[in-house]
Amino acid sequence: MTDDRHNVVDMAGTRVDDDHLLSMYIDNELDAERTIALVERLRAEPALRARLSAMEGNDVAVRKLYAQVDQNVPEHLTTLVQADNVVVVSFAQRWQTWASATAAASCAAVIALVMNFNQPADFSPMTMDAQLAGSLETSRSSATGWEALGNNRQFRSVLTFPAADGRWCREYLLAQEGSHWRGVACRDEGQWVNQVVGSEVFLEQETQYRPAGVDDSEKVARFIDETATDVALGPQQEAALISSGW
Amino acid sequence: MAKLSAQQRQDLIEELPRLKRFCMSLTSDPSDAEDLLQITVERLLEKGMPEDAHVAKWSHRVCRNLWIDEIRSRDVRSRYAQAEGAMEGVGTTSSNTEESVQLDRVSAAMERLPPEQRAALVQVAVEGCSYAEAAALLDVPIGTIMSRVARARKALAEDLEWSAEREA
Repeated sequence: MTDDRHNVVDMAGTRVDDDHLLSMYIDNELDAERTIALVERLRAEPALRARLSAMEGNDVAVRKLYAQVDQNVPEHLTTLVQADNVVVVSFAQRWQTWASATAAASCAAVIALVMNFNQPADFSPMTMDAQLAGSLETSRSSATGWEALGNNRQFRSVLTFPAADGRWCREYLLAQEGSHWRGVACRDEGQWVNQVVGSEVFLEQETQYRPAGVDDSEKVARFIDETATDVALGPQQEAALISSGW
Repeated sequence: MAKLSAQQRQDLIEELPRLKRFCMSLTSDPSDAEDLLQITVERLLEKGMPEDAHVAKWSHRVCRNLWIDEIRSRDVRSRYAQAEGAMEGVGTTSSNTEESVQLDRVSAAMERLPPEQRAALVQVAVEGCSYAEAAALLDVPIGTIMSRVARARKALAEDLEWSAEREA
């Protein structure tokens, strides 16, 4: 198969150079005949030996480099895969929908959520009290941090977006004594009205989950995906909207 | 398509570290790799896979397609330009030892490789795949793997030789 000292033809008839030969030699992909021929050349050609040594050294360095990358698979991903009968709100879909929103960062951090609608609760998440409405009216969206409400509740606005019917809507998180909810409320004639709320488990907190009710989960996911007519507001737009009284 | 069976879930969990390295080989950016891994897992859970699917091959294929379809299309390259040396932040910042300098050089050179060459090289040189195994994972002919790996090694050798000479 060898047609001169520096070029050979592989099985597909493609001419390959010394670097290809050395690469295949490193990977133990050369057949016996070409391996013997190459070894003989390596004995006789210092430059070829040096090239092989450089390539092998680079391989070692690449392995070291990727060994450093390897350290941690996010624990919430492992938990997510282990979980059976869960409904995932797709990061991919949401990332595309809310690409320009500051809340995208929060989605990336928390997005491995498991919607859970069978969880018994001592708090009715659909109840819109004055404190929750007040926070929806005045709080800015953020990726981190919580705002304390009454009844040991914690609130975080996630994002603000315009609905198809012209109303402004906000996605928010609510926590109370180990229970968590994600909801969407829209502002209707000056009043905040919950449109959809689902309890969920934030996997980053390593709490246990319970199986989701598929129908309810899909309803929430569908609502979030279908209601917005545009991308979520950026921080400056949202701040201006809040300042203007919606 | 069937949701993941218990065995497939277990296989996927065992595959996650390797899948993460694959994400890194595709994106060459730690945050993009994290995002891609997240999206890949969610897609696998959402869409499932055939009962007889090979989990590693299937997950790599989904991952690669997601990268092509959903991330690369968003002009991530402009982010690369802004985040120069992003991969250099992966464990290569600690000291001025000769080894860390060499790793910095390799990291930068890897980042300059075309993604398809980088992915092929990582599968073969890091993961220890044969050309046939890498070809199956990346869904390309064996000859393509051979060529990509060789070109990657050649480019790395020349890049690193050049950078070493420049710093000498």
